[in-house]
Amino acid sequence: MLESLIVSLLALPLIGAMVVFLIPSSSLQTLKQVAFGTSLFTFFLSLFLWILFDHSTSKFQFVQSFPWIYSSNIEISFGIDGISLFLILLTTFLIPLCILTSWESVKQHVKEYMICFLVLEALLIAVFSVLDLVLFYVFFEAVLIPMFLLIGVWGSRERKIYAAYMLFLYTLFGSLLMLIAILMIYFQTGTTDIQILMTTTFTDERQKLLWLAFFASFAVKIPMVPFHIWLPEAHVEAPTAGSVLLAGILLKLGGYGFLRFSLPLFPDASTYFTPLIFTMSVIAILYTSLTTLRQTDLKRIIAYSSVAHMNFVTIGIFSGNLQGIEGSLLLMLSHGIVSSALFLCIGVVYDRHKTRMLKYYSGLAQMMPLFGVIFLLFTMANISLPGTSSFVGEFLVLLGAFQSNTSVAFFATTGIILGAAYSLWLYNRVAFGNLKVQFIHEFSDVNRREFAVFVPFVFLTLLMGVYPEIFLDPMHVSVAHLLQQQQ
Amino acid sequence: MMSLFVNDFKYVLPEIFCLTAVLVLLVYGVIYSTSSQHGYPILSRNVVWLAVLSLFFTVLLILNQSYLEASIFHNTLIIDFFSQFAKLVILLSAIASLLLSLDYLRSQKINSFEYAILIVLSTLGMLLMVSSYDLISMYLALEFQSLCLYVLAALKRHSEFSTEAGLKYFILGAFSSGILLFGASLVYGFTGMTNLEDLGKLFAGLGYDHSIQSGAVLIGMLLVAVGLLFKVYAVPFHVWVPDVYEGSPTIVTAFFAMTPSLSVLAFFIRFFFSAFYDFLDYWQQMLLFCSIASLIVASLAALSQKKIKRLLAYSAIGHAGYMLIGFASGTPDGIQAMLLYSVVYIMMTLGMFAFILATREQFKGQQIKYISDLNILFKTNPILAFSVALILFSLAGIPPLAGFLSKLYIFFSAVKVSLYFVVVIGVVTSVIGTVYYLRLIQIMYFEKVKAYVTYQQMDRTKSLLLGISCFFILFFMAYPSPLIILTHKAALTLCL
Repeated sequence: MLESLIVSLLALPLIGAMVVFLIPSSSLQTLKQVAFGTSLFTFFLSLFLWILFDHSTSKFQFVQSFPWIYSSNIEISFGIDGISLFLILLTTFLIPLCILTSWESVKQHVKEYMICFLVLEALLIAVFSVLDLVLFYVFFEAVLIPMFLLIGVWGSRERKIYAAYMLFLYTLFGSLLMLIAILMIYFQTGTTDIQILMTTTFTDERQKLLWLAFFASFAVKIPMVPFHIWLPEAHVEAPTAGSVLLAGILLKLGGYGFLRFSLPLFPDASTYFTPLIFTMSVIAILYTSLTTLRQTDLKRIIAYSSVAHMNFVTIGIFSGNLQGIEGSLLLMLSHGIVSSALFLCIGVVYDRHKTRMLKYYSGLAQMMPLFGVIFLLFTMANISLPGTSSFVGEFLVLLGAFQSNTSVAFFATTGIILGAAYSLWLYNRVAFGNLKVQFIHEFSDVNRREFAVFVPFVFLTLLMGVYPEIFLDPMHVSVAHLLQQQQ
Repeated sequence: MMSLFVNDFKYVLPEIFCLTAVLVLLVYGVIYSTSSQHGYPILSRNVVWLAVLSLFFTVLLILNQSYLEASIFHNTLIIDFFSQFAKLVILLSAIASLLLSLDYLRSQKINSFEYAILIVLSTLGMLLMVSSYDLISMYLALEFQSLCLYVLAALKRHSEFSTEAGLKYFILGAFSSGILLFGASLVYGFTGMTNLEDLGKLFAGLGYDHSIQSGAVLIGMLLVAVGLLFKVYAVPFHVWVPDVYEGSPTIVTAFFAMTPSLSVLAFFIRFFFSAFYDFLDYWQQMLLFCSIASLIVASLAALSQKKIKRLLAYSAIGHAGYMLIGFASGTPDGIQAMLLYSVVYIMMTLGMFAFILATREQFKGQQIKYISDLNILFKTNPILAFSVALILFSLAGIPPLAGFLSKLYIFFSAVKVSLYFVVVIGVVTSVIGTVYYLRLIQIMYFEKVKAYVTYQQMDRTKSLLLGISCFFILFFMAYPSPLIILTHKAALTLCL
């Protein structure tokens, strides 16, 4: 029973997608209700993962395997540990909210939209729980198909096609390099099972090569700076719920990949390339924070700030100590919540005014007080104000970075100042000042459905900021084990 | 002589049946279509169904052959698991392409029942080709198959494109056959033998001997290979492919896309593995060159295509490049990967052509020609658009679809023998190639509708075939073992 938990988590959205597929596309309400119901049920089911999770072991839990290809050693097996637990929870948490957000804003092809989200949910759960390198690659790539369609079909503007291509080709190119690396690993070890691979070692030369190939894939996803170009494009053109998923989960795929593969499989190469990662991350933090300051598109601002935050994550991952890695995991979670919520906020104003240009907005706090409060809260969380979720993560990351490299910590800390600069500047421009009635006339505050969407985010942001131990506790053993492997 | 009749003919029972059936069909067609008594009936669809039936019975005969291996007719034909497997795939894809054509024949008012006869005849040629174990029997079978294909390409006599395609195909095909024949005669002239097994025995261990004889034999081998590369759409010899694909009637293009290259590849593999394996160093270089060239040319040229059939032609060239990678690796794994790839490719092409044949304008019955005409599809027929998107993603090799696994096996076999360079090229071109598949999806899904075109409804056989193809593509990764085991076994019987 326990073993089949992950498989049922995977199967549930797929069954839901099948049911949605069979419902006629004219009955919109039923479609939405079925999709929302399935994803909500999946979320509740996934909570059992957390409840039943054994905190005292670094082994993979809820493991279940099926034979796949007869002649090879590749098995379909699923299992989670402290690293992947919360990423799965984050996925199942965000999907119902995404569906709820697009309740009214999506008007065309509702059925296909819902199918896309449910399939995406199953794929993402699979990515975080699969224990085989080849299958990890399969699901990692498969996410592209629904994402491509989401941006292309339901995106808002002409540029969406360009954005969809960017997303697809950047990711594809990176991950095909990873595929060659996976094949090389298979030929050396004869297996792609992660649990067995953790016990094998590669020669120094080969480690470096393989590490770089994996890096090509994860650096695009997370994104490190020269490979981040796809991200602002994809974010800006995606529909609100698409951005939420992109920021909330897809960016975490890269971080998860580093933690799951790069660190334990190639420990020496990881140490060797740590300066590279640190340099790239610091550049990314400074560069994207400064870039954020001169953006005019609301979503682009949040997208660039996502890049900055994710590069804190990479610093944490490669800091080589417990605080750094746990901080980066927590920061991934917190960013998944905060930045998703910010994208939702922008979705709210976009739904009302159909523009995302900063210059048309001003003084919204006067007419939309509730929105003003919510937006303020998440802006503060984005600055990582103490008491909110991001603070804990960022603090731990900086702590970890300080232990391993002081100058990196110094430069990363300036990122916090810059983060405060662009966040406050953004909030100032949107919420305060005089109303620009010549551009925007109709104001209606956050409605009940939107408020219901925001409540869980607010709750989690504060919970994680005030009492992070419930999130950190399941991670301890797994992260400690990871570090042990690295030494 | 007696023993020949007693023993050997039972081994070719499927071929004999196929030939008899097609002759009966020919007589039947000729008599009834010219019979005034019956009012000169149009027999094209009728004969297609009968041809499907006779091919189906041939499949059954092959499936029920009780022996595993045989070498017959004084070692000119060989029957083993590999040939049986290839034959089954060829027969099934021929059946599929016949079924695809049913609706087309009626709507395009093609009244010539010879279409089905020619398809069956060329399929028969392919069956013989797959079994060939001798250069002479191979050449005869190849010509048998090709002559039927030349006529098929020019099936629509009133269309300029079709006659031009037939002419081009004929000239280049005859030219390549000439090269092939010259190569075969060089091999014969310097060794005195045409049988692959004998050649294999002669060359065993001689691969690095640079005497004059082996030099001439080497040239002979290269020329045979060039002749065969012409037929599998490999790059320096590909110039005819887009024109023939575009000009031929679409049902014929579908047949070209699915069936003939597998028979040629099957013999090609046998030629190199049985006879010239010791020249691995030479032919591996050549095949690698061809595959890299195919990958690059196809992925770049397809980017600028506007017509859907030309696009598919370049896509076929690109896929031939991937298959040749597996071939060039020169290992059972490579052959397995190639066979797997070709089966998956046939399934994808089947779906693609079912779709192309189905999208016809409501009133004029004209088939769509330009890829920009597809831009209404997601609005008018979302399910069809989804199926096609699935096929396109699979052609691009995106997991979790069937095309990915086959591509993975190709890369797998190449990495195993350390052909990293070609793998990197394969990766880069597959990213470039993805662009043009994505463009089709983009046109169907994302673009604003320019003109409202309504399409005729898809007929039942085509929708069934498209459904099968999509089902296969979608769920192949969930349970790939049967096909993988089959191809593995086929590759092993050939290589061991």
